[in-house]
Amino acid sequence: MTATRSITTTAATTTIRGLATTFGCSIRETMANRRGFALQISVMVVNDLVWLLFWLLFFDRFGSIRGWTLDDMVVLLAVLTMSVGTVLGLFGNARRIAVLISDGTLDAALALPVPALPYLLVRHVNVLFVGDMVYGIVLFLALGRPTPARLAVFVAVCAFSALLFGGFLVLVGCSAFAVGRSEVGDLGFNAITLFASYPVDVFAGPTKLFLYAVVPAGFVSTVPSRLVDEFDPRWALALAGLSIGVAALARHAFARGLRHYTSGAVWTAR
Amino acid sequence: MDEPAPAIETDNLQRTFTVGRRSRRRTIEAVTGISFAVRPGERLAFIGPNGAGKSTSIKMLTGILHPTGGAARVLGLVPWNDRLALTRRIGALFGQRSQLWNELPPRDGYRMLGAIHGLDTATLEANVSDLGERFAAADLFDQPVRTLSLGQRMRCELVACLLHRPAIVFLDEPTIGLDLVGKQQFRDMLVELNETLGVTVFLTSHDVADIEHVAHRAIVVNHGEIIHDDTVAAMRRSLLRTKRIEVTFDHAIDTTELGRRLARDLGTGVTMTGPGIRREPKASATSTATVEVDTGRHRIRTVLDHILVDGRVVDLTVVDPPLEQVIGEIYRRPTAGDRS
Repeated sequence: MTATRSITTTAATTTIRGLATTFGCSIRETMANRRGFALQISVMVVNDLVWLLFWLLFFDRFGSIRGWTLDDMVVLLAVLTMSVGTVLGLFGNARRIAVLISDGTLDAALALPVPALPYLLVRHVNVLFVGDMVYGIVLFLALGRPTPARLAVFVAVCAFSALLFGGFLVLVGCSAFAVGRSEVGDLGFNAITLFASYPVDVFAGPTKLFLYAVVPAGFVSTVPSRLVDEFDPRWALALAGLSIGVAALARHAFARGLRHYTSGAVWTAR
Repeated sequence: MDEPAPAIETDNLQRTFTVGRRSRRRTIEAVTGISFAVRPGERLAFIGPNGAGKSTSIKMLTGILHPTGGAARVLGLVPWNDRLALTRRIGALFGQRSQLWNELPPRDGYRMLGAIHGLDTATLEANVSDLGERFAAADLFDQPVRTLSLGQRMRCELVACLLHRPAIVFLDEPTIGLDLVGKQQFRDMLVELNETLGVTVFLTSHDVADIEHVAHRAIVVNHGEIIHDDTVAAMRRSLLRTKRIEVTFDHAIDTTELGRRLARDLGTGVTMTGPGIRREPKASATSTATVEVDTGRHRIRTVLDHILVDGRVVDLTVVDPPLEQVIGEIYRRPTAGDRS
């Protein structure tokens, strides 16, 4: 054996380099089928355009609903597709954490000298939702009345919205450590994406409270889109605090959950 | 001279799983308290039937599962507490999991693993080249993984778990699903790995042949406990001395008469086994016999010569006894009484 093992960098740098290389492989694997890549992105953009058409017809008929106009709705859709697309597209396993836990797929990640959660998140890029990201930014630039200030706020709130959305998915996914099944993860995903598709202001009373406090759909789309139109430091701090808090809680839940991980025996590659 | 510290050491290691819900909730003892030590450079086969606790044990030793009781140290580290430090020094290959990317060539996966292990480019390239040459796998490294056969894929997976030069390699059922040639190639790779690089090999399997071809020592587990721990040389003298010959003739023969004749000509140590003595339907005009040979008393070749006298053979296989038979033999031995 001529070559010897050589550790070239500190542990933190090694981890970042390892995750970056993994992410690069995820993208290359996705791009391996270029025709499928382009087709899936196009299909998602068309799907989102149909959704926009629905709101165009809706507001053309009703003008506004509880103070929300078509312009507001465009920004909400842009924020939602951008943040959800970022999480589900670039960190595709965020949605599948419960499945990975319940079928034992974590084994491969735990056998490597890398933090398991970040590794899993960058291990799978989902082309379909990359189309959502593309749509979100194009929609904002085309119809969101972009100015440099609005664009800067848009990018910042999308980042926090994505952090909150991803953190929430991981958090509900970690329930599989306790129950051994993935249904709760699916339920959480469906709930937050469904409710975040509407301005939470159209709901009232306990439902509205629920959508801000329990399933934080209001903070994924409604609050960020309001901040783009009218920046309020208190709401901005609330969004940032909640996003970081949920993400930290998700990380903690995953680390604690590993103690109860039971593995499994499903044949799979990721 | 002092004994080197064990590469792997367990003390009453246990793991239970809770399954079912509410009133149907029950606890399964997957590993009931195993204790053993493995020397550096040893090749150990950890064998047992499905559900014996092999995979649970190997997953605790690699830090994937936390135990419910007992202790373990691998290279001086507690696996489940020091997972990141440990995985830099061990390699793990699970027959049912892949570290590679289906759509990409193995070389891309190696770059990812090299980065995760902190290898610089020159070291990684040198290691990939060396392992590719050593295992005759270099020509596979630039094909998408999905185009590789299972045997080729497992060779590439083994390279993946050796890139960082681990001191111990854990392999969980690596030969599962491979054909006979693939299995033998893989076993040869493990022996080469151990003999030339000094890597400690910890292999789980339910294939008796893996013991004979790979291991210095075998630990047999059943129902989560160790029922046998001995060198393979000793096992070969006691538990693994029988071979089975499965033979098919191209015409109908009286297999009962064949059994009587073998017993008369060769004496004890050659027996026709029950289920194997059968006559095929007359339409097929073939017959099959299964003969169990005590290799301590008779050479396989001698027995074959006596069988072939009876006519033309269309198929012939010499196989190890199934693991269940070996385990049954362990329980029948005098020491079994001590356990019960």
